[in-house]
Amino acid sequence: MIGSGIKRGTAELAILSVLEGSPLHGYEMARRIEQQTKGALRFTLAALYPMLYRMEQRAWIRGAWETSSSGRRRRCYRITPVGKKKLSPLRREWAELFGALRRLTKVSNA
Amino acid sequence: MRDWEALVEERLTALELEPAERAEVIAELAAHLGETCEEWRRQGMTEEEAIRRTLSQVEDWQKLTRLIQTARIKENIMTNRVKQFWLPALLTLLLSMGLLMLIQVFGPNPWLVARKSGWSLVAPVAVVYLPWLLSLPLIGAMGAYLSNRGGGSQRAAFGSIIFPVLPYLVFFVVALPVMAIFNEHLAHNIMFGALFVGLFAWVLAPGAALLAGGLLAQFFLSRRLDSRRIAGS
Repeated sequence: MIGSGIKRGTAELAILSVLEGSPLHGYEMARRIEQQTKGALRFTLAALYPMLYRMEQRAWIRGAWETSSSGRRRRCYRITPVGKKKLSPLRREWAELFGALRRLTKVSNA
Repeated sequence: MRDWEALVEERLTALELEPAERAEVIAELAAHLGETCEEWRRQGMTEEEAIRRTLSQVEDWQKLTRLIQTARIKENIMTNRVKQFWLPALLTLLLSMGLLMLIQVFGPNPWLVARKSGWSLVAPVAVVYLPWLLSLPLIGAMGAYLSNRGGGSQRAAFGSIIFPVLPYLVFFVVALPVMAIFNEHLAHNIMFGALFVGLFAWVLAPGAALLAGGLLAQFFLSRRLDSRRIAGS
């Protein structure tokens, strides 16, 4: 079973990565993550918003209300400079972890 | 069409946030649910099925309430409490204590308030440092200003203003009576007098001086804020 720390770490990386591309509101963010990971990562509302609020408290992302051309009000999130700084070490750590796991599984399969 | 805001509001009744912040959270979650439901409908589901699938995103609303509460408040409260109360309170305490020590060493002799019997003073004697008392309104004003600048409530500002007299209050209201009960060498006949004189000299008079400056500063700061609001509207 994947521990909550690992889940949280991957979620933070996923959110920061999609926001690096463009500002997004919560629903769009969840869809984008699901599409880009081909359904491997799915965020329900219950998982997404507590995470977004926590990241906003840490000033990694910033949310602001915007009105779309159809008149719908949504809270759009942007990655902040603090979040951008956090993203590169996160990517490195996860790349190291997955690299290590790949090596390990190759060795055990040999 | 389903009223998602009413639904979310009903399910998040236990969410304790500032009203504006709470409304924002409810609106945001409702918008998310609304869009999810619309998407299911576009994919050809019946309304009931779409609503059922949408609501299945949240298995436990109480848990979600707790998670949102923790995410939005916990870190916020810690930093806000420091900015709005602890920092101004400790600064007023530090400044008032430092000033009292300086006045005790370098300042004029204290004013001794006591009954006289012939040429000698009769206990209980209150030792009053007038320069210290006179400086306290400024310290109180500083506490109010710092708490106000950190966005503190009136209660936080009040606490910051009177914080320097709290150690004395604890001493006279708790420590001294306890000492009187357990220490048989203390002269009990003067204890009550000493208690009231001490309370006046070290709690009530300094507290009043701190409040005089602090509340005045609060008054001017709130007027300045009001005039800014009027100018901005």
